Amino acid sequence: MRKTTLLAVAGATAIVTGFAAQTGTARAAEQCGDISIAQMNWAAAEVTTNIAKFMLDQGYGCNTSLVKSDTIPAITSIAENGRPDVVTNLWLNSAGDAYKKLESEGKIKRVAKTLQPGGVEGWWIPTYLAKEHPELKTIEGVMAHPDWVGGTFNNCPDGWGCRVVSDNLIKALDLKSSGIEVFNHGSGQTLASSIGSAFADKKPWFGYYWGPTVVMGNYDMTRVKLGDYDKAKFDKLQNKDTKDPQVSDFPAAPVLTSVTSDFAKTHPAETEFFSKMSFKTDTMSKLLAWQDENKASGEETAVYFIKNYQNTWKNWLNADAQKKLSKLIGG
Amino acid sequence: MAAYENFFNAVGLKDWCSAGGDGGGGMTSMADLIAQTDGTTTQGPSLWNWPFPSLDALNKACAAIPPSRDVTQGLEDGFLAIRGGLRAVVDPLTQPLSWALRDMLWIMTNTPWWLMVPILMLITWLVTRSWRLVVFVLVSIAFLAFINHYDAAMQTLAIIFVCAFICVLFGVPIGIAMSRSDRLQRTVIPILDMLQTLPPFVYLIPLIFLFSVTEPKLYGIAIILYAIVPVVRLTDLGIRLVDPDVIEAADAFGMTKRQKLFGVQIPLALPNIMAGVNQTIMMSLAMVVIASLVSAPGLGVLVLRGIRSLELGVGLVAGFGIVIIAILLDRVTKASLARIDTSKSGK
Repeated sequence: MRKTTLLAVAGATAIVTGFAAQTGTARAAEQCGDISIAQMNWAAAEVTTNIAKFMLDQGYGCNTSLVKSDTIPAITSIAENGRPDVVTNLWLNSAGDAYKKLESEGKIKRVAKTLQPGGVEGWWIPTYLAKEHPELKTIEGVMAHPDWVGGTFNNCPDGWGCRVVSDNLIKALDLKSSGIEVFNHGSGQTLASSIGSAFADKKPWFGYYWGPTVVMGNYDMTRVKLGDYDKAKFDKLQNKDTKDPQVSDFPAAPVLTSVTSDFAKTHPAETEFFSKMSFKTDTMSKLLAWQDENKASGEETAVYFIKNYQNTWKNWLNADAQKKLSKLIGG
Repeated sequence: MAAYENFFNAVGLKDWCSAGGDGGGGMTSMADLIAQTDGTTTQGPSLWNWPFPSLDALNKACAAIPPSRDVTQGLEDGFLAIRGGLRAVVDPLTQPLSWALRDMLWIMTNTPWWLMVPILMLITWLVTRSWRLVVFVLVSIAFLAFINHYDAAMQTLAIIFVCAFICVLFGVPIGIAMSRSDRLQRTVIPILDMLQTLPPFVYLIPLIFLFSVTEPKLYGIAIILYAIVPVVRLTDLGIRLVDPDVIEAADAFGMTKRQKLFGVQIPLALPNIMAGVNQTIMMSLAMVVIASLVSAPGLGVLVLRGIRSLELGVGLVAGFGIVIIAILLDRVTKASLARIDTSKSGK
């Protein structure tokens, strides 16, 4: 679970329900028709969905609508009424059991990894801090010198998947014994702005964050090594009621594109497109850095990608769509 | 062909236009890209979809005119430029609010429950003299504690106590000043209107940039700005509504302005002022969930968790807890208000 506001959820739920009411008819395979894609409310998702919308509308003759949503609301909506058709930028670790249940029920199937190799998450410090005190690159160093990192750990907001993991890690590491206070942020916005203001004043900062995001593209951060990644230990960390949590670093987080089973059946060509649409994590970071530098919108960043990365997206399309978009590919 | 290009060419500004800027930094909009794919690039807009001469439309025709993105960027730069100075002034001024909130939260959560509950009951008795309400307070808090929401409820109460107290501390004098000067009233009322209608997140944005997000005063200020309005309005209104005949009689007795204010106007306006206090407390409670977005502890956090991870039960129970606290605060302030009214009429 990433960022959410009360309004986003309410709005998304209302819209999604509205869609569910007016559809439900299976379409002929040749005709693309209306497609709805869930658009998560973070920058990378906005860019990806706008790229997909352009490709589908122009290349496949679809009528694509982007539904503002968030991880859990999108999954719930699919479970309850089979809409939206496509979910991309789905952080599997945040979606948790709700997603796995849908998959085992056969309502949804993953077709691709939106990001290759995936998202990064973990505990970070600003790079200028790491340069000044190289010891801080490991958690032992941080705990030995709590005042070098400002004495505060910036934790995830309540209700996010990472909050459970971080809370367990704090317990496992006994972080509080070293004199580091845990500050629980109320929302992703304050978490991000605490990084922003720390960088503005070159002050120490220590806390959880993830990428690719605008924040990570904009600020140079160094990851604090928590130890080695151990799957069994990490699985335990994801459970809120784990008795004796053990330290494990965060793995690369799988970020998926999934489509509903109905969609896969009725729209084979479009499903194939989604199964090929995948970004290198580096590319996405570069796009987001460009977006921030130019203060561009998600849509304009999508256009920037389409105009500058033809060789990447050319291979996502089938022959027919390639012909339709030949002007852009050629130029 | 952009819509207004001919216009700029006609008035002879072509050179000036091409001299400035590079046409938006090579940014293409989605609409342009689609037009490019369709091969409809060369056609200008028809009369039907002729664009309004907005900054963006003019920028397309004339690069020297800034797009609206530059305006927002300029606003941001301007704010960041004055940020240092603003912070040097506002930060120390508001620091006592952080201390008050931190201390109150510490007191209310660290006092053991078997001490805290009697204290709250005692306060209820002192302000209302009603056994029924004392029992109601006991039952409500016992219920919240029974479902393990005691700590969150105390945090919420602590925040409301501090914020409502500060609202009254500043709101009543502002209201009195407004009632004595028409000019002040004319300037303050639009500000109050603005505070009430602005979505809370709009004034949270500059606050987040101004203060460290780990400071409690961030949500304190957000709550106070929102909740101070009714007490100011109703104090002003209450004093203005005092019967002119009474004021005339006070004048006839040769009372000074000060005597009139404290001896006549404020006592007569007290029911209105107390109604304002009641509303202020209720509105600060209404801000609890939104304040949780800027890291306020309490029941609001649980409501947010319920929404974020769709744990319907958690959200509903926490929401119900907020309702209980709302009823509790409302009944207690209304009862004490009623007591002030009767003590006056009994005199």
